[in-house]
Amino acid sequence: MSNTASIRRGPGNTLASIDHLSFRYPDSPNPAVRDVSLEVREGEVVLLAGPSGCGKSTLLRCINGLIPHMYPGEYKGGVTVGGLKVAETPMSTLAQNVGLLFQNPENQIFMFSVERDIAFGLQNLSVPREEMRSRVDETMRLLGITALADRAPHELSDGQKQRAALAGVIAMRPKLIILDEPTSLLDPKTALEVVALIEKLNRELGITFIVVEHRLELLIPIAHRLVVMDNGSKVMDGAPQEVLADGRAEGYGVGIPPVAKLYSALSKDGIRLPKVPETPEEMAEELNGL
Amino acid sequence: MYWLSGGFVFRKVISPFHRLDPRAKLLVSMEFFVLSLLSSTVVEVILILVAILLVATVAKSLRRIARTIAFSGLFAVFIFAINFLFGLGLLNALLYSVRFLAIISSTSVFFVTTSPDELEQIMKWMRVPRDVVFAFVTAVRFIPVVMLDAFQIMDAQKSRGLEFEKGNVLKRVRNLVPILIPLVVNSVIRSGELAEAMESRAYGSTPKPTSLYGMRLRWYDVAVAVPSLLLVSAVALVVVFHVTLYI
Ligand SMILES: Nc1ncnc2c1ncn2[C@@H]1O[C@H](COP(=O)(O)OP(=O)(O)O)[C@@H](O)[C@H]1O
Ligand SMILES: [Mg+2]
Repeated sequence: MSNTASIRRGPGNTLASIDHLSFRYPDSPNPAVRDVSLEVREGEVVLLAGPSGCGKSTLLRCINGLIPHMYPGEYKGGVTVGGLKVAETPMSTLAQNVGLLFQNPENQIFMFSVERDIAFGLQNLSVPREEMRSRVDETMRLLGITALADRAPHELSDGQKQRAALAGVIAMRPKLIILDEPTSLLDPKTALEVVALIEKLNRELGITFIVVEHRLELLIPIAHRLVVMDNGSKVMDGAPQEVLADGRAEGYGVGIPPVAKLYSALSKDGIRLPKVPETPEEMAEELNGL
Repeated sequence: MYWLSGGFVFRKVISPFHRLDPRAKLLVSMEFFVLSLLSSTVVEVILILVAILLVATVAKSLRRIARTIAFSGLFAVFIFAINFLFGLGLLNALLYSVRFLAIISSTSVFFVTTSPDELEQIMKWMRVPRDVVFAFVTAVRFIPVVMLDAFQIMDAQKSRGLEFEKGNVLKRVRNLVPILIPLVVNSVIRSGELAEAMESRAYGSTPKPTSLYGMRLRWYDVAVAVPSLLLVSAVALVVVFHVTLYI
């Protein structure tokens, strides 16, 4: 898996651009996001990390438009997605550009059957029935959930729920999908399936992803970039291996994979490996090569 | 309690009755309802009840409806006792209590065979405002989720030593507080997330949302609806014009 990131279609033009953004919720004294600037390019998978409460979810809400359209508060700076100024674009238009998926898929499935739920967003956009049918079918095929079309939400496993909720977002054909801790309620095997799905959607459809995830080791293999936030600010931003190799990351409570920790400990002792390894196997190989 | 409430909860079954257009199912259910109200002798009500059970058999839901009847049987006994004690006579008291059973099972037939999706379609067809329909849909959708939530909270509190089944009535009611508070808190969090997800999927952005499938009357819906409607209308006319049925 180590080379996939470099083989994959290189990130292209700027898709989302965050410009000196600050946001403070009305009932709190301090801003939840402070002067954050970030460019996300088409086709990128950006991993967003940082201690809990550092403003990751707030930043995501600013990108998909929930802030400022649904949450009032003190808003400074701006966000542009696909050429649209988020603060000035209605949610209905934004919904077709940015999809948002939260931690708990249960609270994102509204309807009594998977296919009805996938159609929910399309219904709200007045998509004609024939087109809706074909888009729903296509999305189910893409995510391998055609057999679940008629299942009710309570008849689905956690992983299936996560897929169904993702399908509802994908059917709206957004260029950018934002995932807020998508695997935190899943067992390790199902979590890996979700990661593989992200990789597939990114590679085959060129969908851009911003993913908040605590278990870094899950997403590092498919991420092009790692952004670390602390206390509302962006503190680190770069290629995942570089960010992890930088000793500061640990100070921000970012869960560093053991191999990366070992790598930086070794380099402190003057043992330089040719590149930062992603897996224990890779590290073993590199160590053998010394 | 849960076992008994099953009499009004939809169950996925493939049956000729389930296949009917939801409006046809509603019609049949309402026809039984009206017939029960119009009936004036015990024999008539029993015939209606038998007809309902026949429909339930076709719908492969006889057990479910029987559950409903068993549940409402308690109330029926109560109704019988009250009417009898107030001197309405044995036959009238019997009529009222059996009629009650017929009314309950006629509505139960509809709810057991109509999926929440179909209920939603009927509400839309009746031009119920969209927000009301959506509120109804989410309420029904989250019943099992909130119930599971409640059971988990109960288990958690039990493992911390809370005893629900102990004490007098007042104590037992007070025991519910440690369950209700987390349940309400969870539901508030849940509704916040739901609102965010709705917004993110363009809810309310068009005054005329489309739909993945609609209702379509087919020949067998008409074959059920028209004759039954004629029959019930005839009975209604006879009853309204006070022509006694000698059954
Ligand atoms: N709806 C809200 N209203 C007020 N304050 C909030 C709200 N959501 C989050 N916060 C506050 O904003 C800060 C950042 O929270 P959040 O963006 O959820 O962080 P993260 O996702 O990184 O855990 C926290 O201090 C949190 O308490
Ligand atoms: Mg968060």
